[in-house]
Amino acid sequence: MDSLNLLLEGFATAIQPAYLLYAFLGVLLGTAVGVLPGIGPAMAVALLLPLTYTLDVTSAIIMFAGIYYGGMYGGSTTSILLNTPGESSSIVTAMEGNKMARAGRAAAALATAAIGSFVAGTLATVGLTFFAPGIAQFAKTFGPADYFALMIVAFLTIGALLGGSPVRGMVSLAVGLFLGLVGTDTLTGQARFTFGIPNLGDGIDVVIIAVGLFAVGEALHIGSRLRHSTPPVRPVSGSWRSWMSKSDWKRSWKPWLRGTAIGFPIGSIPAGGADVATFLSYATEKKLTREPYRQQFGKGAIEGVAGPEAANNAAAAGVLVPLLTLGIPTTATAAVIISAFTTYGIQPGPLLFENQSALVWALIASLYIGNAVLVVLNLPLVGLWAKVLQIPRPYLYAGILVFAGLGAYAANFQVFDIAVLLLLGVIGFFMRRHGYPVAPMVVGGILGPMAEEQLRKAMAISQGDPSILVRSPVSIVIYVALALLLIGGFWLRRRQARFEAAIPDVDTTTIRAVDAEIARQLGRD
Amino acid sequence: MIEPPITTGTAAASAAVPRARRWGELGFIGVILVFSIVALVMTGTIREPVGSSNVLGARVLPYVINGFMLVTSIAAAIAVLRGDVGAPENSEDLDHDAPTSWRTVLLVVLSFASLIVTIPYAGWPVAVTILFAGASLALGARSWWKALIIGAVLGVVTYVVFGELLGLSLPLFGSAW
Repeated sequence: MDSLNLLLEGFATAIQPAYLLYAFLGVLLGTAVGVLPGIGPAMAVALLLPLTYTLDVTSAIIMFAGIYYGGMYGGSTTSILLNTPGESSSIVTAMEGNKMARAGRAAAALATAAIGSFVAGTLATVGLTFFAPGIAQFAKTFGPADYFALMIVAFLTIGALLGGSPVRGMVSLAVGLFLGLVGTDTLTGQARFTFGIPNLGDGIDVVIIAVGLFAVGEALHIGSRLRHSTPPVRPVSGSWRSWMSKSDWKRSWKPWLRGTAIGFPIGSIPAGGADVATFLSYATEKKLTREPYRQQFGKGAIEGVAGPEAANNAAAAGVLVPLLTLGIPTTATAAVIISAFTTYGIQPGPLLFENQSALVWALIASLYIGNAVLVVLNLPLVGLWAKVLQIPRPYLYAGILVFAGLGAYAANFQVFDIAVLLLLGVIGFFMRRHGYPVAPMVVGGILGPMAEEQLRKAMAISQGDPSILVRSPVSIVIYVALALLLIGGFWLRRRQARFEAAIPDVDTTTIRAVDAEIARQLGRD
Repeated sequence: MIEPPITTGTAAASAAVPRARRWGELGFIGVILVFSIVALVMTGTIREPVGSSNVLGARVLPYVINGFMLVTSIAAAIAVLRGDVGAPENSEDLDHDAPTSWRTVLLVVLSFASLIVTIPYAGWPVAVTILFAGASLALGARSWWKALIIGAVLGVVTYVVFGELLGLSLPLFGSAW
């Protein structure tokens, strides 16, 4: 009950017109940037960060909530309307959604994605509302050794599971940890790896790491092999009110709920991020859908869009649970958010709910609001998003570079940061080119210094005896969970890879034929 | 209408051009490997205050992390030598069959690097114009005057929105003369 009261107070804050405006703006910009091809949620959040630099804390956090959900949602529009494989978390949506679009049912696919995201996002935010305070309360009993254990879990699961190749993920993590070392050591005051450059004394800003690796690296990677024709954008027809037929609703609501139930827990543990959740939801729907609709899987089944999209957004809310209660990022997007929080002097973690109670609850309230804005905004604006997809690519990527430069320069107003950004961008380019995931590097860069601090605290308590790291029951449980997560994660990855390799490509005639076949069977029953 | 088949990056990479990709990745991982050795050597030069009571000094974590970087990069190099070549990351706008255009990469890098000089000496709007025009032309924009105009508009708009409305201190003109 207590948290309900606090939530109501949060709403009282977030509903003020100025804050509502920021939530609205955040969702709008987050979606617009998220829709752009080649921009994932992490990059959307990193690129839009400068917008919030000069705002007060509450406005900035509220706007951030909108950007986060908007960016998360934007990717699905891209994969439904464009006929090309995109980032991994939207591959599943592309499988069915894009085929629906090819059969002229883009509107239904977009609508089930939007409404499913709303349902899942809202339910998952309810989950966050009720679980987070309890977890934060429990986490207050954690000692430094337990936190260190949690960070080891975050490192290893993100490094091993967040890309296709564990070995390459670990290399990426190691380089990220190195970047975290650069700067003046907080405890001893000694310069480490600053190469005698005074500008490096304060360390490398995580925003610069994220923008460099994501935005500049991506622009260079795509520039090196740019597709010279813009891929065709599927038309969206009809008024948005008539987008989903009665049968679409009937087929969608169960996958929405199941997707939420899968996405929220998976998002809140470090198990490889949202794409694991979307894949699990897809596999579940494929198993549970009954004939005559089942034959449509791989050829534009609406269940295959509704479930994974719900799972994707529920996972996005799930990620906020460890982020807010423990201060542990489990995805690259979460790492960027943590670094944004720290620039405002907010330290996410168990004490956040006590020390900054009003702020946290305003944030959670604005997550509800952001979700509602998302669905209200996205259904009517889909025509606009389709236009965004038609921006000529040279201008699009040049524009991304401009905003990357703005983000880097606005962090400290020094051109030195532009040089660091460019260097990281070139590293990011080679990483993409050779299949090294960049997310572990971003997480390593932000979490590395935090892990060192906890390790030092633990060692100071034990006076140098390293056995303190595995002595408390909590840390033992955490290390056992790590082993289970890695085993489970690898098993899932293997299944997912086999699954994706087995997807046959179908032409539009087959899609239509299956559609007609289902109509015939339904008519006969 | 017959759709072109969707080619997945993994399939194309393993069949068509393994040699060049393999050497490319070996070169990349080699740089990281050498760098981790350099970093390990540098770790020895980090000053450890004499007689400090700290249990965990300034060198401990650097040794661990650089050691980790060395071990993982050796492991990755072995993986590549054994035939496990990394597949390039997918994106909507990527043409996997196209050869790498190093010229584009270089020109985009140069356009971006121009900011280092142009922001302090020419101001934000001009800097953006040069970056945008340079990068978009390198990426294949056909008309240079369109690229310049869009760049200039973007430069002025970002200056007004971020510099004036949001209060970030972006230089309007060059001031570092």
